[in-house]
Amino acid sequence: MFGLPYTDTVVVLGALVLGVTSGVLGTFAVLRQRSLVGDAVAHSTLPGVCVAFLVAGVKDVPGLLVGAAAAGLVAALLMVGIERTGRIKPDTAIGVVLSGFFSLGVVLLTHIASTADADQAGLEKYLFGQAAGLLESDVVVMAVLGGLGLLVVGVLRRALTTTLFDPSYAGSVGLPVRALEVLMTGLLVVAVVIGVRVVGAILMVAMLVVPTVVARQLADRFVLVLPLAGVVGAVVGITGSLAATRSELPTGPVIVLVGFALALLAVLLAPGRGVLWRAARLAARRRRVLRDAVLARESGAAPDAPVRSLSDRLARLSLRRAGLLDDTGLTPAGQRAADELAQRRALWSAWLEHGALVELPDAREPDPTDLRGSLGDDAVEQLRRLSTGGAVAGASPSVLVVDRGRRVR
Amino acid sequence: MSDDVVIVVVAGLVATACGLLGPFLVLRRIALLSDAVSHAVLPGIVAVWLVWQTRAPLPVVVGAAAFAVLCVLGIDALRATGLMASDAAIALVFPALFSLGVLGVTRYADGIHLDLDSTIYGEIAFVPFDSVDLGGGVGVARAAVTLAVVVLLNLAMVTLLWKELKATTFDPAFGATVRLRPQLLSRLLLVAVAVTAVAAFEAVGAILVVTMLIVPAATAYLLTDRLVVMVALAVGVGWVGAVAGHALAVTYDSSIAGAMGLVCSACFVVALLLSPKHGLLTRRLRRTTPRESPAPRP
Repeated sequence: MFGLPYTDTVVVLGALVLGVTSGVLGTFAVLRQRSLVGDAVAHSTLPGVCVAFLVAGVKDVPGLLVGAAAAGLVAALLMVGIERTGRIKPDTAIGVVLSGFFSLGVVLLTHIASTADADQAGLEKYLFGQAAGLLESDVVVMAVLGGLGLLVVGVLRRALTTTLFDPSYAGSVGLPVRALEVLMTGLLVVAVVIGVRVVGAILMVAMLVVPTVVARQLADRFVLVLPLAGVVGAVVGITGSLAATRSELPTGPVIVLVGFALALLAVLLAPGRGVLWRAARLAARRRRVLRDAVLARESGAAPDAPVRSLSDRLARLSLRRAGLLDDTGLTPAGQRAADELAQRRALWSAWLEHGALVELPDAREPDPTDLRGSLGDDAVEQLRRLSTGGAVAGASPSVLVVDRGRRVR
Repeated sequence: MSDDVVIVVVAGLVATACGLLGPFLVLRRIALLSDAVSHAVLPGIVAVWLVWQTRAPLPVVVGAAAFAVLCVLGIDALRATGLMASDAAIALVFPALFSLGVLGVTRYADGIHLDLDSTIYGEIAFVPFDSVDLGGGVGVARAAVTLAVVVLLNLAMVTLLWKELKATTFDPAFGATVRLRPQLLSRLLLVAVAVTAVAAFEAVGAILVVTMLIVPAATAYLLTDRLVVMVALAVGVGWVGAVAGHALAVTYDSSIAGAMGLVCSACFVVALLLSPKHGLLTRRLRRTTPRESPAPRP
């Protein structure tokens, strides 16, 4: 498929299943701020895998998955139970369950190793993951399990979303909140069980968190975040696992580093929400305010003493470059810009004073730099009448307020 | 000294070093940050090896502490963007750092004498074979010496800063008003965690460090309401884990570090059920048995 060798195809498909499921199913845990529960569940699958191996005696994948899922679910429920006792805080509960289960797993693993079973070598892959060792049948099992998880999310999307964002409202409209929360934990366990074979128990938590963080940077709506997280997970999984297989490095760490790099990029650069994006927007706004200040001062509208700070000089430089300022003062173009600015400011003051009386056809957000564009010509016309005509007619504002039945402070 | 005694003493020193710090981590709710930090020291060890080709304790500790600080600062920076919750920040940073360490170990495994298994489970069974001569011709296990120094450092920090740690742990707002810098103290604690983790790393592995930090402290928290008692109990539970875990591991021929962790967890379960004040069973018992009429006070 895709002109890739057979083993690579299996790896790509496995990473695809891993990425989509951990991305979509992990979203719920991350948005509930319980992503580290995923860490504990991932560590807890180790003893489950070992017990399944000891009981079944062979490393057939469905059996090991069942063992891992059972142990993960027990761990997740134990965490909730310990938290409910009240004395132990959530983070400590996570830490205790994680270390207890992992210690048990290590003991069982060494026990299996000491009984000298040749097959046990496969079990150690559950620590760091090994995509190269995936078989076609493994991928089929993973895909069926993941498909079931995604189906559940698809069917119960509304109920899950409501419970996720507003549990008390969900309870008041008759949704079984407790059961849905357990279901979310169950979905988390499914994602972990699928991923642990590829990424490994210790690093699995990153695969749960990275897709959601990236998707959240790119979209604001939950219906978009869910599929986006799946796509991001798939991209990270495929890129990482192929790179790892090609360079013969452990799969888990490579996938995690690819994912971390992507998450960092999204946090820095995502349009609208990225750190650098926001910084750039803030800087542009600052520059404009400074330029406006210089313009107003030069045109004599604000006759305070000239300030010659560095930012002031920079603003002057940019005005010169735009041809609005020369050695003698404002150029004609500069004078026009200054007039426009004065007009804009007057309009804004009028809005602050009379804005509550303006009839708007719908709810609009006024933009101080462009009132006409944000509110429409009609509203600006009304403002102009209010600021000039109101005073001439001598009508007191309170009469107007009563007339129109609107409140003004 | 027989090998078994050396192993138990080394594990006990880990338990002491961790037990001194654990209660503060649990009470300040930064237990999982300590988990993250103890994973993040791995790339520090690898980096020091790659740059200076040494595994001498001092540079390794400095390198590990640097990565621990990097880890904590990275988590803080991500959280400060307001774009994600702190748990997501932790879950992003520490796997990335640990991955760096793992890749370093697999790439340069020949030079570093540090394989993946030992970073996870530790190789406490080999501790007695690596001894140093402290003078007088008697060999002492290298790990025991390093850990003894760490225990002394932790003890010095906790006793010297006892008042400050206590105040900022229970009432960070008050601590901040009297200029005690709660956040700085938290970071100092996490650096101490990193130093402890790196000293214990080769001996007992990443997992036992986390276990010894969190589980005994959580157990002690169930048993007492006083900080001094809690610290003492945490150290005690750690020692119980070391002694009983070693005995168990020898009897059943299994992983020593794993067995020690298991015993600590068992202690936690017992405390959770039977603690005189907070135990689940004792509370239920108290509810079902009719309360006797209080004795008249003299």
